[in-house]
Amino acid sequence: MQYKFFPLLSFLAVAGLVIGSIGMFYRLLYGLNPVAFGSYVPWGLWVAFYLFFLGLSAGAFLVTILTYLLRIKPFKSIGPLSAFMVLICLFCEVLFILLDLGTMHRAFYQFFLTPSFSSLMTWMFILFNAMGIIYTLKTYFLVRGDIIREAPRQTGIVQSVYRLLAFGRTHYDHEMKAADDRRVHVLAWISLPVGLMFYAANGAFFAILINRPIWNSALTPLLFVVAALLSGGALVTVLTYLFGGQDIALRETLSIYLGRSVLFLLSLFLVLEAMQFFVGYQTGRTDIVTSLNHITIGPNWWTFWIVHLGIGSLIPLILLTFYSHHPKIVAWSCFLIFITFISVRYNFVIPDLAVYKLEGLESAFVHARLTTEYTPNLNEWLVSIWIISAGLLLFLLGTRYLPIVNFKIGGMNHAESEI
Amino acid sequence: MSRFLAVEDSLVRMQRDLDRATSEDPKKVKWGMVIDLAKCIGCHACTIACVAENKLPPGVVYRPVLENEKGTYPAVARKFVPRPCLQCQNPPCTKVCPVTATYKNEAGVVVVNYKRCIGCRYCLVACPYSARTSDFGDWYTEGVTEADEVVYGKNAAAESYEADPATEYGKKWPKRGKGSPIGNARKCHFCLHRLAVNMLPACVTTCIGRATIFGNRNDPESLVFEMIASARAYQLKEELGTQPAVYYLA
Repeated sequence: MQYKFFPLLSFLAVAGLVIGSIGMFYRLLYGLNPVAFGSYVPWGLWVAFYLFFLGLSAGAFLVTILTYLLRIKPFKSIGPLSAFMVLICLFCEVLFILLDLGTMHRAFYQFFLTPSFSSLMTWMFILFNAMGIIYTLKTYFLVRGDIIREAPRQTGIVQSVYRLLAFGRTHYDHEMKAADDRRVHVLAWISLPVGLMFYAANGAFFAILINRPIWNSALTPLLFVVAALLSGGALVTVLTYLFGGQDIALRETLSIYLGRSVLFLLSLFLVLEAMQFFVGYQTGRTDIVTSLNHITIGPNWWTFWIVHLGIGSLIPLILLTFYSHHPKIVAWSCFLIFITFISVRYNFVIPDLAVYKLEGLESAFVHARLTTEYTPNLNEWLVSIWIISAGLLLFLLGTRYLPIVNFKIGGMNHAESEI
Repeated sequence: MSRFLAVEDSLVRMQRDLDRATSEDPKKVKWGMVIDLAKCIGCHACTIACVAENKLPPGVVYRPVLENEKGTYPAVARKFVPRPCLQCQNPPCTKVCPVTATYKNEAGVVVVNYKRCIGCRYCLVACPYSARTSDFGDWYTEGVTEADEVVYGKNAAAESYEADPATEYGKKWPKRGKGSPIGNARKCHFCLHRLAVNMLPACVTTCIGRATIFGNRNDPESLVFEMIASARAYQLKEELGTQPAVYYLA
């Protein structure tokens, strides 16, 4: 596929990889030593980015469920793209978490040798891998027909990749198409409980911690799911507007329809968030109020008021309410929501950690690793840039050279129209 | 005994308690600690003894002493609260560990298996007492200028002392910088390596006010058992249900 921003985006991705490699070099050589977080704020920017990509994958996951489980036809044009997006997001998620581990290499075998099933992290590991397998297979079966059909028309390394993925097949008929359809449907069935458990487990991961009053609430998993659907739904709306097939009318209708869903999710999310603040402040508990104050009047207050509430909520809310029939404005609104959502994730992870859990701890043993003051350093940003650039490059290469998006009606139907 | 030296030093009694405990069936021993806040003078000797005993790197601390000040001048009160790992009997940190790297051992001490820990720091986040720290691989000698033959320089200091690991958990660990415990979660373990050779934990023996009492809390004859039964005894954040094996005397 060709699209006009490909060279620019590719350049940005490669530049990001080059610049970010400085951070990666220090991370791989010196472990966690070059990071700014410590023992009282043990998670930082990378965990916030993990949650950001988790949210984006949730939106894409939802579209694949609508398309291949509920078989809602209009979404078919973006089905393969959504499945591919889930894979890209999972790729970024796993990189952020792997690089956040103190002894990264052990993650590759210790989960298999001595798993603890009482830990939600173990379940996240299991569910993450299950999602990875399901969506790799699903994406493959969605594009297999196009790969087999297109292989002879490609040249060079792309042809080699196509032939490799075709596993030597040169013919794709109705029976194979029907079999692939069935496989995708079965995978969609499996992915529904797996996906729901995966996203809920991520919320519960924080909610079960009794000493973290902001997280330790039954509202947290719900807020997590809504946040994930909101940010992911916003991303999917943008992708639909950009890549939703050549039928412009259908693409725009779909964008408008998705925009309405995003508006509903945004309103719901803001209500839940307001409830969290209202209840928290009403308790009057010092630790809760301090955490909330950290968000509203702390050193990074602007990420909450300007980035999240202003640019990421108020402007999209107005635009999606009053210009809901303008696909371009809907797409821009959704772009603002998903791009600013990292501030929501950051303000979820840091504030509860940024409160001393015992009085006097702040001065008991003074060291840069034993403080609740945290601002991501250049190294953390560089590593983040590297991972995001790697994800972007994979997305660009996938959408350009694989039949993820096509000019006709979309993925599967492309192959179908030829057989 | 004279009227001026009415009782024996509590250290002597604790050592006797320890001897009795280590000669018993290990399954019957449950270690416990009591910290008498009325006796703690905030000298931080226990903190330093712990750092020295376990050769803790910068940013890693097992037993800081918290200073709590109440009121405004002239009505001011101050107390010192040493805070080791509280060795919870219902520990929130062990449940969240995804690879069973941290667990409560037979004697009720929460330990970390450095060779298993993946360094996710979920246990640090789960601990209500901030009793765990992560080893980020910092060095005391980092940034120190090398001045051979003038002073004991960076390389010499690092080689001779800092790189040489402590025998935590009674094991020989690799030289610092060559793997775990860098990248791991670390915590107080009641000096299990000392207990194994009939020695009281470093913080207990260095406490000049004898504010820290240690022993087998299952032994009715032990001092620690006696102190736990005191009406002054309480646990930190009792409402969380973590059931710490470290008690405080108000």
